[in-house]
Amino acid sequence: MAKTILAVDDSGSLRQMLAFSLKAAGYQVIEAVDGQDGLDKAKAQVVDLVLTDQNMPRMDGLTLIKALRDLPSYQKIPILMLTTESGDEMKSKGRAAGANGWLVKPFDPQKLTEVVKKVIG
Amino acid sequence: MTSKQELGSQVKRLLSGVSDHGKQHLIEVETDLVQTAFLLGEAIEKLGASFFALHGAVIAQQNEVDLLLTDLDGDDPKMQRLRMIQEEIVQHTNSAVTGLQFQDLTSQLLARTVQRIIGLRNVLSSLAADGVDLPNDGEEDEIVLKLNSINKHLEAQSSELKDLLRKAVHQKDMDSGDIEVF
Repeated sequence: MAKTILAVDDSGSLRQMLAFSLKAAGYQVIEAVDGQDGLDKAKAQVVDLVLTDQNMPRMDGLTLIKALRDLPSYQKIPILMLTTESGDEMKSKGRAAGANGWLVKPFDPQKLTEVVKKVIG
Repeated sequence: MTSKQELGSQVKRLLSGVSDHGKQHLIEVETDLVQTAFLLGEAIEKLGASFFALHGAVIAQQNEVDLLLTDLDGDDPKMQRLRMIQEEIVQHTNSAVTGLQFQDLTSQLLARTVQRIIGLRNVLSSLAADGVDLPNDGEEDEIVLKLNSINKHLEAQSSELKDLLRKAVHQKDMDSGDIEVF
């Protein structure tokens, strides 16, 4: 059965490109428009991987990651940040919050699917 | 009016003038930026739709060609050329997907700029409002004291604005970014 990825980003065009790339690689994709939507959808269905932006309205990426890590079902689920931010300070905050990886936008579909495959198979 | 009496009222007029003219121009800048963001949004919608349609058509065509060439040997030069073209299509598709993320990055930059402009308009409004308290015919010392206070307020507001702004987008090109798995 295909693995499911939750893609959280407030940019519609970015979500489209993510979904296109990941579905082409054989994954199922659930889209969320911001951190709060992402949290609601993550609670409704446990996914195999969460891919989240940082700067979003209602709830940002770091807050989402912390909220997910508080859920028993998301203690071990890999979470990757996909964001414009690339500074070491932010990466440290992401790691401390519970992120397993950091991807800087824009992403290359081949590199993205390689890292996703590495993380969840 | 003596020149001493003029100083206060002239400074007041200057602050008010800077505020009014500045705000007018900033409103125009904001309008242009909002329109730019809107046009970029429209462009990505059209580009995205065309990209997916084109991709769908190419895949459908590839499938038909594969069917037509089922009888050919895998080492046949036609099959090899076809595979090379298919590889090229994959590479160009990946490049297009990376490039089509332009709207996400540019809209973040534009949103940050609009936020700064709104903040700057508020700062200019405060400048005019603070200037109202300047005594028209005050002593020079009194006016200097008031101007110092206005300067401090300006610095505080500018600092506050910096803290409120969305994070900067540092990408200088559309090459794909780094990946780090912790």
